Amino acid sequence: MVCALEGSMWVGNLEKAARKAAAWLVNKTPIRSLRDWGIAFSLWPVHFTTACCGAEFGASAAPKFDTERFGFLPFIASRQCNVLFIEGTLSKKMAEAAIWVYEQMPDPKFVVAMGACGIDGGIFWNSYNIVRPKDILPVHVYIPGCPPRPEAVAQAIIMLQRKIRKGELVTYEV
Amino acid sequence: MSLEERELEVLIGPQHPASGHMRLVAKIDGDIVVELRPNIGYVHRSVEKLAEVKKYLQIIPLVERPSLADTTANNLAYVMAVEKLLGIEPPPRAQYLRTLLAEINRIHSHFYGMGIHGVMIGSSTAYMWCFGDREPLIELAQELTGARLTYSYIVPGGVRRDLPQGFEDKVERVMRYLENRMPDYFDIYFNNPVTRARLEGVGVLTKEDAIKLGVTGPNLRASGVPYDVRKAEPYAAYPELDFDVITEEAGDAFARVMVRVREIQESIKIIRQVLKNIPDGPILDEKYMKMIPPNLRKQVEETGHIKFPGVFANLRVPAGEAVARVEGGRGEVVFHIISDGKMSPYRMRMVTPSFRNVILFEHLTKGARVADIPAIYGSLDYFPPEADR
Repeated sequence: MVCALEGSMWVGNLEKAARKAAAWLVNKTPIRSLRDWGIAFSLWPVHFTTACCGAEFGASAAPKFDTERFGFLPFIASRQCNVLFIEGTLSKKMAEAAIWVYEQMPDPKFVVAMGACGIDGGIFWNSYNIVRPKDILPVHVYIPGCPPRPEAVAQAIIMLQRKIRKGELVTYEV
Repeated sequence: MSLEERELEVLIGPQHPASGHMRLVAKIDGDIVVELRPNIGYVHRSVEKLAEVKKYLQIIPLVERPSLADTTANNLAYVMAVEKLLGIEPPPRAQYLRTLLAEINRIHSHFYGMGIHGVMIGSSTAYMWCFGDREPLIELAQELTGARLTYSYIVPGGVRRDLPQGFEDKVERVMRYLENRMPDYFDIYFNNPVTRARLEGVGVLTKEDAIKLGVTGPNLRASGVPYDVRKAEPYAAYPELDFDVITEEAGDAFARVMVRVREIQESIKIIRQVLKNIPDGPILDEKYMKMIPPNLRKQVEETGHIKFPGVFANLRVPAGEAVARVEGGRGEVVFHIISDGKMSPYRMRMVTPSFRNVILFEHLTKGARVADIPAIYGSLDYFPPEADR
């Protein structure tokens, strides 16, 4: 494709070149840090309760702990969210639903596994009906505890924000 | 158009705005629910099977996990069944301490249910207030037991810790705060025209149906059946305490919420009586106190924290069967233990209130409007991990 613009002439695919330039710009330091800052403070977890840790997750969104001050507000629809909290044990039946929800979420998306069950089965390690989240999803942050205290949930959010702002998790490709 | 063509099947969940780990399969005709079937089993973690390979003391934390918001009821029912097999009776002070924790837990479990119900019918204020007012009670329980929700406080033969110093004053402060706070709830939530319109006359459960379906807990009492295990088969310190069984006549979603609110006030009454009448004495049965080595026993007497001897961990229970019933926040919890004299039970069966109430989803939503589904769902105080075990 040939483009002519006020006398000068460029040869090549303008659309492709523009996308390449945008990707280069977005991955360049000042804009990149602005972008990561924006993502870090707009974490929207999907309202997906998998097991009993949901009780403490609910408490962390409530007064006293108030995770909303980190820009972290549980939201209803998976298509508008970017964080998936695996709240405790993942049973086989629920694991299927967790994968559906994860696939519906738009990029960039993050997964946090909450509770001892989310790490390696916890007290239910030898149950016949559980799945370890790390086997089916890319988990970014683990929260230990059975159940973890709401402070630990807040700590996990801060850890996720730090990871995002270091630029480890989000990359744009052409 | 025939009826089959008019009906539409809607799958709600397992990821849905209401808090809960279940799928509701609804058949709707316009705005009317023709049939709603709950699809449960999303949190089945085989607690009963795991109990067969764990030791008796290890099962205490295991049975608490299914109902995280109301752990004391499960803990107490399980320990009572084990105590029946062992043939021991905990000392009176331990009985009172059990009652104290059970009532604190009942209040914050009711707040949990009311908060979740609030968020389901779109009242964020109710959620924030209930979860905020739950915290002082959790703080109390935490000071008594050392954990926020999973207390594991009740052990065979007694309890793990004595009352901390100055605990009575703190409890009294919280109780006074709650009493002053409850009128605010009526002003802003219960007497709110929106709440009334969404809950009154919705999901009516008649007295006959409630008895026929085997419903339990506040959902049964909201239909006018004065059944409470604390009165029907008194345990712990309840025979010595004075309290009423709360009932409502209407049987609708609003009555179910009102029963919980009035039970909170009744629990405040019980807690005050417990702290007034609590007797002095040991908190663990003599038989187990003797097992504690002498140097540790001195420490136990000074701090009031029980240190378990190794023998206690390998607790052997004589062969036999025992059933124990407890009134939890959501209803009647039943534990049936069959022992063959080994270190693990041969079979442990737990009957949880949520599982007995799950039948109401199908029963109450027939003919209701689609918007009433969350209002009915929330009013049942259904906790899926508890039902699925």
